[in-house]
Amino acid sequence: MELNSSTFILEIINFLVLVWILKRFFYKPVLDVIARRKAGIDDTVAKADALQKDAQKLQQQYEERLADWELEKQRAQRTLDTRLQKEREAQMRVLQADLEAEREKEKVLIQRQLEHDSQQIVETALQQGAQFASHLLSSVAGPELEKQLVALLVQQLKNLPAQQLAQLRKVNGESDATNSSTINSATINGSTANAATITSAYPLDATTRQALELACKENLSVKGEFIYRQDPAIIAGLRINIAAWVLATNLQDELSGFVGFNHEH
Amino acid sequence: MNNEGIDASLLFQIGPVEITNTVLTTWVIMALCAVVAGLISRSLTLQPGPVQTMAEGIVSTIEAAIKQVAPEHTRQLLPFIGTLWLFLVIANLSGLLPGVHSPTRDLSATAALAILVFFSTHWFGIRTQGLNNYLHHYLRPSPIMLPFHIISEITRTIALAVRLFGNMMSLEMTALLILLVAGFLAPIPILMLHIIEALVQAYIFGMLALIFVAGGIQSQQISQQKQQDKNSKEIS
Repeated sequence: MELNSSTFILEIINFLVLVWILKRFFYKPVLDVIARRKAGIDDTVAKADALQKDAQKLQQQYEERLADWELEKQRAQRTLDTRLQKEREAQMRVLQADLEAEREKEKVLIQRQLEHDSQQIVETALQQGAQFASHLLSSVAGPELEKQLVALLVQQLKNLPAQQLAQLRKVNGESDATNSSTINSATINGSTANAATITSAYPLDATTRQALELACKENLSVKGEFIYRQDPAIIAGLRINIAAWVLATNLQDELSGFVGFNHEH
Repeated sequence: MNNEGIDASLLFQIGPVEITNTVLTTWVIMALCAVVAGLISRSLTLQPGPVQTMAEGIVSTIEAAIKQVAPEHTRQLLPFIGTLWLFLVIANLSGLLPGVHSPTRDLSATAALAILVFFSTHWFGIRTQGLNNYLHHYLRPSPIMLPFHIISEITRTIALAVRLFGNMMSLEMTALLILLVAGFLAPIPILMLHIIEALVQAYIFGMLALIFVAGGIQSQQISQQKQQDKNSKEIS
């Protein structure tokens, strides 16, 4: 345990040299690297901070824009709702009007259908009534009734209004003039043009035929021949065809006229 | 037991300069440190590998320790204090190698280090405060304290040297004695204690040196003064 001066001095020198070596080759380079890395990290952190600030700013802008969009959306929604409401109301009004018109039309159609049905029923009833009456009258009709009807016809011919008589006479005159310029034997609807076709349900005796012909000649100015036909369908009475005119005094035509009268009204 | 096993042995002599195994071991340690430092400094990158990470960890730890005591003079004190720690750790642990004597079990080496601490305390103090201010602190708080300050400077330097020398020498002597008495493998627990003691003594020596130097440059006071100035500026 001695203090060696050489060792003492050499140790001092050695340590100072070691301090220089380590300072030059160890501490300084290592600290420089640490400092560089720290600077890099600080730089990165600064950039990250800047990026974060930018991101926050962008986020804020985005949120503001979202809020604006939300407001705009709500506004547009309200406008759209209002427009839709108006449109709906208009459509409802139109629809209501259409429905009303349709209902009215339907009502009219139903009314018409009812009227038509009613008419049909009435007509059917009348036809059935006529058929019934015809059937009934067919069974009770006879030559006596026909005689009475002939007498009635003769009486009616005498009592025809003057205007109607004039028209009948005019028709007979025209047909007569036409016949004089054409062939006398020409026939219209199975009878000669200036002839009077008398249809009866029962055979007419000569007296009745003379009375009829006389009444026709006097009142209607019939100048042609008289053609007699027999048709049991008319039940009883007569039907006289003179050109386009038909003079009917028979049960069948009366019943048909009754049905037709109802139909006309 | 002779002094051959304990005292540093003279290896050769260059004129009046005696080269002992303490000096030789120190040179080996220096060479080792220089080579390792050179290799590390050559391969330093911003993406550190394991070796560089270890080196940076050592430097950062030393820097942090110095910063705790002398926050304003960390970079200034780092080479000296850091070298003290590294050298002492390596030197203390070198005694574990068979045939190698730790330089720190030689009083000449520990005394040299203690003297370096003594002078560096004054050197850093004068550099930082100027000669007058530095010398004035021996008169504070009262000139009566001057002799005590001087005695304190001397005794703490001697204590520094003797503490390290005594601990390391006693460890090696204990290991040697146990080896002589108990035989092979018996001193292993003592060697493990040697490792701990080597690290602790290196830490104590370096920390005391740091405290002495920091006391010399009044680092804590300067730091407090700066803090007060900063606070007063903020208040105003």
